[in-house]
Amino acid sequence: MIQIKDISKWYGDFNVLKDINEEVEQGQTVVVCGPSGSGKSTLLRCINGLEPFQEGEIFVDGVSVGDRTTNLYKLRTEIGMVFQRFELYPHMTALQNITLAPIKVRNKSKKEAKAKAMELLERVGIPDKANAYPANLSGGQQQRVAIARSLAMEPKIMMFDEPTSALDPEMIKEVLEVMINLSKSGMTMIVVTHEMGFAREVADEIIFMDEGSIIERGTDISFFQNPESPRTKDFLDKILI
Amino acid sequence: MFDAVVNNFPFLMGGFWVTVKLAFFALAGGIPLGILVGLGRISHNKWVYYPVTFYVNLIRNIPLILVIFWFYFVMPIIIGSPLDPFPSAVISFIIFEATYFGEIIRAGYQSVSKGQIEAGYSTGLNYIQTTRYILIPIALRRMLPSMITQAIVTYQDTCLAFVIGLPELIRRATIVDNLEVRSVQLYGFVAVVFFITCYIGSLMSRRFEVKEQEGG
Repeated sequence: MIQIKDISKWYGDFNVLKDINEEVEQGQTVVVCGPSGSGKSTLLRCINGLEPFQEGEIFVDGVSVGDRTTNLYKLRTEIGMVFQRFELYPHMTALQNITLAPIKVRNKSKKEAKAKAMELLERVGIPDKANAYPANLSGGQQQRVAIARSLAMEPKIMMFDEPTSALDPEMIKEVLEVMINLSKSGMTMIVVTHEMGFAREVADEIIFMDEGSIIERGTDISFFQNPESPRTKDFLDKILI
Repeated sequence: MFDAVVNNFPFLMGGFWVTVKLAFFALAGGIPLGILVGLGRISHNKWVYYPVTFYVNLIRNIPLILVIFWFYFVMPIIIGSPLDPFPSAVISFIIFEATYFGEIIRAGYQSVSKGQIEAGYSTGLNYIQTTRYILIPIALRRMLPSMITQAIVTYQDTCLAFVIGLPELIRRATIVDNLEVRSVQLYGFVAVVFFITCYIGSLMSRRFEVKEQEGG
């Protein structure tokens, strides 16, 4: 579903991504972890073309992201993205946030988009908040609306960029539950997170990044028990306590 | 008790009409120019950004009265023919107010988080759709109360046109006062006219602020 081949990216002289290689199969959930500034978010943003990269190639469902002739707008309809700070549109209700893109991009009728949005709000557990504005929702509720907004486009892939980092502890669980269910339903997912409980439960692969490189990868069990590099061990010790 | 006002009411209200016309043209030119200034201030093109920034900083750091004088007394020397006070005042106001409107527009634009724009893109909206449905509505809501406040300030500023002899409301009140010596009632009347009109404007501004808080 996603092939990342020898990606390198620079911000001026700063080498943010160094020869990243990764393959994500359909239905897999890949967890990306690592210290801040290691290039995790940048990698996600390269996959949906929010940021350009200078070397290498990324294919999403066979389409080259770096190719100048690729219609990135069309590509992004297939890749949902959930942000750390939710980024809901403050002037629209939860329902309007969710239906905007299906109506404008997929040309769905208002009625059809609304029915789908209500179904998704049901799925993330807050159908009663359909007409609430983001300012009147808790962080956990906002993030669940954001997930529903992405799902409304019926994407083939969902990317999460530290979806629970801005949440209070008691709200993390409600968001993770939604994500776990999504993963179990067969969605292809790339998740940047430090929630190791989530990784343990649903990750097919965990990659550990530091200073722009993938320095460790593995399926969950091996990754936690005997990380190969001392850097990974050090990091895991810190986040697992 | 209000004899001076009553006897000269048509003359005074004629001055009010001049004030209204000045404010109308100042805003009709100042807001569109302000939009261009605001866009220039967020431009990544240095040939646009630096000249516009210079203009904004220059004008915002000199008093309006000086801009009015400068335009009325210095421009005729440069262009070689005298200017009428009314168009001269209007142009001064447009040049001056556009810098303030421009800064409001720049701040409104910059208040929209980059993440909200990216959220739009990541659901497949294109540049025009993202600008139309996300950027502009959010920015507009944030800047509307300040825009209305600045429009009220512009309206009040127009009385400075009296320094170049425009017969607006205050100027006419002084003319009547010079003949009839009724300062308290004449300037009281002017204050009431300004208070009522500005207060209506500030009520409008507050309505938009409340709407913004509700999120709608």
